Amino acid sequence: MKEGKLVKFNLQQLQNGHVAPFKLSKLLDPEASWDKDQLGDVLHWIRQVVALVCGLLWGAIPFVGAIWIVLLFHCTAMALADAMHLCHISFGYSFLSLEIIGQGFLVLSSGIIYGYYAIILKIDEEDFGGHGTLLQEGLFASLTLFLLAWILVYSLAHF
Amino acid sequence: MATLLSGFKYSDSLAVVGISICTAFLCEGISWILIYRTSSYKSLRSTIDKASKKLETMKTVDKPSKKSKTKKIDRVETSLKESSRDLSLSKLKSGAVVALVLFVVFGLLNSLFEGKPVAKLPFVPVSIVQKMSHRGLQGGDMTDCSMAFLYFLCSISIRTNLQKFLGFAPPRGAPNAGLFPMPDPKTN
Repeated sequence: MKEGKLVKFNLQQLQNGHVAPFKLSKLLDPEASWDKDQLGDVLHWIRQVVALVCGLLWGAIPFVGAIWIVLLFHCTAMALADAMHLCHISFGYSFLSLEIIGQGFLVLSSGIIYGYYAIILKIDEEDFGGHGTLLQEGLFASLTLFLLAWILVYSLAHF
Repeated sequence: MATLLSGFKYSDSLAVVGISICTAFLCEGISWILIYRTSSYKSLRSTIDKASKKLETMKTVDKPSKKSKTKKIDRVETSLKESSRDLSLSKLKSGAVVALVLFVVFGLLNSLFEGKPVAKLPFVPVSIVQKMSHRGLQGGDMTDCSMAFLYFLCSISIRTNLQKFLGFAPPRGAPNAGLFPMPDPKTN
């Protein structure tokens, strides 16, 4: 199955000489073939949206304390995500569990990205440079955007 | 509008964000004029994209088992590194102008907001970050946020995403060859 997707990905480039135009329906299609750049861009923007939403929420509630940033329980969260992937548990449940256990923006956003490409898109990470490459797409920009949104909403809404 | 904004204790943070957004657009505009619209940049970018895609195909579909295939991959990698170095060189001129603009804007913001907390941090930052987040501020409350830290966050987040949105982000396939490439260990 995964070999088929890899061949399809390369043949498309060789035959067309360019990548097929991006369609929104591709975002939820596990059978779609992905170009490395397209997938990287999608993961980048998902991270930015998650960062903005988290920052606005964290600031509005407000959540206070550095624990909401740090990579606490990271290993636990990632191990849980791996176990869920093996058991084919739905994305919604893994999101909820990561949120409860992780309680940190970095864990949450990494968990969402991992859940998206591993469970919804069913991507073989080896074709795209491994988990590290996919998980670090847009990471620093999303962290700064999250901090910016969190600080701004907190400062303006609560003082 | 002014009355509404003055009602916020930390309305200065909005001024910092607004100036950062304008600066980001200005810097990208300068970069576009000096680099991105030139034919040399477009051809270099296209060369890098094609070479990196070709390299990926050669490495994944055709596993390099023969010496000739490995040599071919090395040739493509070397050509990719050279193109990346040329791209870095072409960005030097605009890089200097953009750095000057950022320096001037930072100086302007510093003169406007020096010694004033522009926002309140919802966390106490680590000591290394405090040097920037509490820069120029009086008192021991480490949750006071200085202009420098907020400007730093704005610059990184807004400029990175603006570059990405406009398609000016550096190509993913370009290795970090830099201006001073190290000798290739395979040829020694």
